[in-house]
Amino acid sequence: MIRDSLRLRLLAAAAVAILAALALAGAGMGWFFERHIEQREVDALIRDGKLIASDLRVDPAGAPVADARPGDDRYGEAGSGLYWQLTSSKGSAHSDSLWDQSLPLPRGADRADWRARHAPGPFGKSLLIVERPIVPEHAAEPVLVQVATDDAPFHAARREFNREAALSLGLLWLFLLIAAYVQVTLGLRPLAAVRRQIGALRGNPAARLPDGHPREIAPLAEAINALADAREADLGRARKRAGDLAHSLKTPLAALAAQSRRAREQGADEAADGLDQALAAMRATLETELARTRAAAAREAGRSNAADIETRIESIVAVIERTEAGERLIFDVQVPENLHVPVAGDDLTELLGALIENAARHARHRVRVSGGVDQARCRLCVEDDGPGLGRESSEAVLARGSRLDEAGPGHGLGLAIVSDLMQATGGEIALGRSALGGLAASLTWTVTQQDALPRKGRLLRWLTRR
Amino acid sequence: MRVLVVEDDPVVGPDLAQALTEAGFVVDLSRDGEDAWYRGDVEDYALAVLDLGLPKLDGLSVLKRWRAEGRDFPVLILSARSDWTEKVEGIQAGADDYVGKPFAMGELVARVRGLVRRAAGHASPLVAVGRVTLDTGRMTATVDDSPVRLSPLEYRFLDLLAHRPGRFLAATEIAEHLHGTDDAADANAIEALVLRLRRKVGPEVIESRRGFGYMIAGS
Repeated sequence: MIRDSLRLRLLAAAAVAILAALALAGAGMGWFFERHIEQREVDALIRDGKLIASDLRVDPAGAPVADARPGDDRYGEAGSGLYWQLTSSKGSAHSDSLWDQSLPLPRGADRADWRARHAPGPFGKSLLIVERPIVPEHAAEPVLVQVATDDAPFHAARREFNREAALSLGLLWLFLLIAAYVQVTLGLRPLAAVRRQIGALRGNPAARLPDGHPREIAPLAEAINALADAREADLGRARKRAGDLAHSLKTPLAALAAQSRRAREQGADEAADGLDQALAAMRATLETELARTRAAAAREAGRSNAADIETRIESIVAVIERTEAGERLIFDVQVPENLHVPVAGDDLTELLGALIENAARHARHRVRVSGGVDQARCRLCVEDDGPGLGRESSEAVLARGSRLDEAGPGHGLGLAIVSDLMQATGGEIALGRSALGGLAASLTWTVTQQDALPRKGRLLRWLTRR
Repeated sequence: MRVLVVEDDPVVGPDLAQALTEAGFVVDLSRDGEDAWYRGDVEDYALAVLDLGLPKLDGLSVLKRWRAEGRDFPVLILSARSDWTEKVEGIQAGADDYVGKPFAMGELVARVRGLVRRAAGHASPLVAVGRVTLDTGRMTATVDDSPVRLSPLEYRFLDLLAHRPGRFLAATEIAEHLHGTDDAADANAIEALVLRLRRKVGPEVIESRRGFGYMIAGS
């Protein structure tokens, strides 16, 4: 599970690292604490030792005698835990607290300074012993001065210190873990944003991740965009090849049609009929494939503004005005300035071309192309003053391959292409009766709210954007 | 009447040539773009049928060169790509009509005849009214000496006003002339026609007065 989650991995690493650091700190603090209290105790013992040494002498037999004794009552109390002892080769003296016991003597060479060590002592206790050999006045040999104290209280103090330190370090660990969690969450937030944006990318291959990612994420976003570019290019090439293939078959189809005509001229009507039927079927398949290619490509396209829309309508009208059906018609184009539609470029030309051509074929005198925008929807409408359609035929017309008018020119797929393109761009087409008297084909799209992102606090936004 | 057929397909080209010959035309068949461009440049044709996908030089470039050199015979484009974008491109490059492949031979011949008929009048009697000059033979118009691309209906509208200089013509009267009806709806359509025409020739060229109708300014 930890392997799967970056967050858990980072948190686990942080938890272990912080724990190790705190344990090390705890151990260090314990050591320093013990050294500190031991040093104070050693200083106190040395003071007592110096007091004893200040009036040290040897009796005539050579045994050491201390005339000055430390004032602490515990030196007089048997087994109190505080002891002194004087030792020379000729004899020894010790505090009453030692009773019939003695302090352990050091091994090895004597030193000319106070030195502290731990050693097991009398009454089964462990001791902290401070000792120094001193040569009294008029004496020939040194006397070893030893002052000792029970070290059990330091151990107890250290244990208590360690317990309290462990408790507070544990709390600190928890606090740092929470801080690490917040840090990791904030750190990973740009990734969540990227994930959201990639979701949008899937919906629209022409979309790209926006700029403004943190420096660490930016190369990832760039790589994703490069990938999207490559994918779009591949898609475009594949579609172009499919389109080219379909188009390249059209000239051979025209050639076949010529052969069929010749066959008919030579009286082979039956053969020509068969050929014509096969040709019609092939042609319908090609047109279907081309419409599909176009509709698939339309999903990626952007938007058109009023000026684009008007330019395209005018160029289509310029073509239709040259046709037999179009030359007697009045074209009325009304595109409001604030109109945007989510169909771009050539797709818009195909969409409007098919509708306007169809309208021109059925109009008596007039074709109107208009647009409109309200809060939620944008709309394009192509109307004519022709005979119009019944409800059943409206539905039939949008089905692939059917024709509005079998006698009219055109390939009969026009409105099916419109239907495909509308579906691909998330719009709807409705056929109804126009105020002009004929058919009204109206295309509507829901206006998308691209900027409707949730609001964030300023700090959070700063943290997550950076 | 001589027409040029430019088509590289070994079956479609000769078939087209044969059909047009049968329809009474004298047909020259060209199989590549460079040859077509040369012939169109040096010969006088009544019309050209031009395929777009050609070897050596593509059809659209051939058409653009002809137009750039002032060769203004009507051109009917014949193309495998029959989508609207291509049609618009072709017409904008100076073509007069567009037929997608595969096509019905009868329809193509009819369109060729229509184009030839339309372009036939070369006598060019000019009618000048105000800033507008109409070439009644070729059915073209210039405003302040710059050519304006008009639809046939727009031309007929201007022609109607030009032949009645100095008086306002009511929308119903215009509708009757253009459409043969005096329907109120058709009179409304005239308003739309004027709107479009004003966009092409400039708003002040056609004068209008409420209740009276329309007139070419300065006539």
